[in-house]
Amino acid sequence: MRSLGRTTAQLSAALGLAALALAMPLGWANAQQAQRPTSGPDANPLDTSKALMAKTKQSLNLKPHASPLTITPREKIQLDKIKVPAGFKVELWAHGIPGARMMTRGDKGTIFVGTRVIGKVYAVTDKGGERSVKTIVDGQKQPNGLAFHDGSLYVITIDKALRLEGIEDKLDSPQVTDISDKINLPESTHHNWKFAAVGPDKKLYIAIGSPCNVCEINTGLHGQIRRQNLDGSNIEIVARGVRNSVGFDWHPQTKELWFTDNGPDWVGNDGPQDELNRVAKDAEGAHYGFPYCHAQGVADRTVKRPGACVGVTMPAALMGPHAGALGLRFYTGSMFPAAYKNTAFIARRGSWNREQKFGYDVVQATMSGGKATLTPFMTGFLDTASNAFWGRPVDVQQQPDGSLLVSDEQNGAIYRVTHGSAKAATK
Amino acid sequence: MSLMAFLNKWRRSQALALAIGAAICAAAWTGTPAAETLEERVQVCGGCHGEDGNSKMENTPSLAGQPALFLTNQLILMREKLRPVEAMEPFVKGLKDDEIVALAEHYAKLKPGSGPEPGSESLDQAAVARGAELVKQMHCGSCHKAGFEGQEQMPRLVPQRIDYLVKSLTEYRDGKRYGIDTSMNGVMYQVRNADIRALAHYLGSLR
Repeated sequence: MRSLGRTTAQLSAALGLAALALAMPLGWANAQQAQRPTSGPDANPLDTSKALMAKTKQSLNLKPHASPLTITPREKIQLDKIKVPAGFKVELWAHGIPGARMMTRGDKGTIFVGTRVIGKVYAVTDKGGERSVKTIVDGQKQPNGLAFHDGSLYVITIDKALRLEGIEDKLDSPQVTDISDKINLPESTHHNWKFAAVGPDKKLYIAIGSPCNVCEINTGLHGQIRRQNLDGSNIEIVARGVRNSVGFDWHPQTKELWFTDNGPDWVGNDGPQDELNRVAKDAEGAHYGFPYCHAQGVADRTVKRPGACVGVTMPAALMGPHAGALGLRFYTGSMFPAAYKNTAFIARRGSWNREQKFGYDVVQATMSGGKATLTPFMTGFLDTASNAFWGRPVDVQQQPDGSLLVSDEQNGAIYRVTHGSAKAATK
Repeated sequence: MSLMAFLNKWRRSQALALAIGAAICAAAWTGTPAAETLEERVQVCGGCHGEDGNSKMENTPSLAGQPALFLTNQLILMREKLRPVEAMEPFVKGLKDDEIVALAEHYAKLKPGSGPEPGSESLDQAAVARGAELVKQMHCGSCHKAGFEGQEQMPRLVPQRIDYLVKSLTEYRDGKRYGIDTSMNGVMYQVRNADIRALAHYLGSLR
């Protein structure tokens, strides 16, 4: 980024006004904007001009909601507002975890929690009726991607890959090995916080977003889900044309990969919608449309190619406009009723680029014939009447007893959902 | 050159101004055993950021009337070494969340300065005019609001020191600083030095 700045400064000086014109249409801000074509009415999809407002009918004052970096006091967490289907219960399982996002579970029961802005990875342990939270990594650039395998925690940040060996026995003095030179990550910032997991094939899967809202990308580098051996060798692209996936899991029966993907901003309040996608066994490496084709076959109006949606794998389900569909895990437990088995829970963090807020919940996705249908599961974080939210679910994680943990980035909290007469975790 | 003439010349130089500034800050800090209450902390901060939160020190931002969330976020980013500012390190180290929030709320309530913003350079009217154009083209008011008073995580830009505006806009462009997302890095991508100066002069000219 720094060297890019210098280079572009020199370039700008040389190109004078031309370069200025390139930089100027920036309103909402994405690093990609300046890489876009500079002429024509559709040069910049994020141009917050009146023309754009007329086109998208969106308020230009929409802006991402800032997630607090501070501890939310327990009494401010509005547990009583959360709604789940009859027979289910919700309790506050852990809190005081600012920025809590992606979760992964160690073999000995530690719940590791990644973050973005605050740069930390936390370890939450269950100590007979209460939880203890420790910071095991800090000062990192958006350590959102976590994977656990064979005693080691893998932490994938924007620019680094770290391995913490034997971590569950060393929570007080973690040994961090930087394996960035083995796990090749592209140099980009925007949309490049990662999601990671180790697959049934014992390979490390990493989602690498597109460094922009909508732009031409190098499909060999960005906008993909890739896998590689744990030593970094043998990189393969599993899905391409992916705008920004921050959640995937493998179907317990078919072992196929399912992933969420976020649709573009500033194209209107109603979409293109976020996606739930399936990588069919015989179609690894398939193209999911970005940047030419969004959602259920919506051709992009700025990055055009003939037959924008030809050869593009369509979503298994639409996840809602600007919903922020993120963490996804299949449910394999037996605590919940049988109808939940082998369905997926998906956390929707909630919209920012939409006047009437949408999402802020956890939905259940029931798969059938390569498609999926959605049912609300955990709601109450959004009050549609006042268009205000108090919580933002980001990830879900099943516990061995079949209960479901849900992380809430807004409140730095983790909730536990149980069914029936299951005992509360907190004494 | 007499010693006085030499010293006067030297005093005018930015380097010395900065050195004196740092010395004052250090004195303010070491003179206070350990700032443990909000009042004590505010006294320490005032050494550089101005007693009333309106900075008279080069490259040091005014804090008066900044949105509390913006100040909270920045102090936490500094504490976590995600926004490394050497001069701030001793002050943010070990600060607890509620102590940071208290500081942020204190400065958010202070009245922004009303006089001409002290800066290291006087207003260049050509730059001011150019800046006025740029601010429209770049839609700065979308997030920072039409009067540039800021909101939530987005800082107040008026009033602010010109030298500090140049410093922080340059840092955003060069990827040396991030907000709580990457928006400002995108906005400042490829903006020339002369235009950064124009933006700063325009914003610095507003009251």
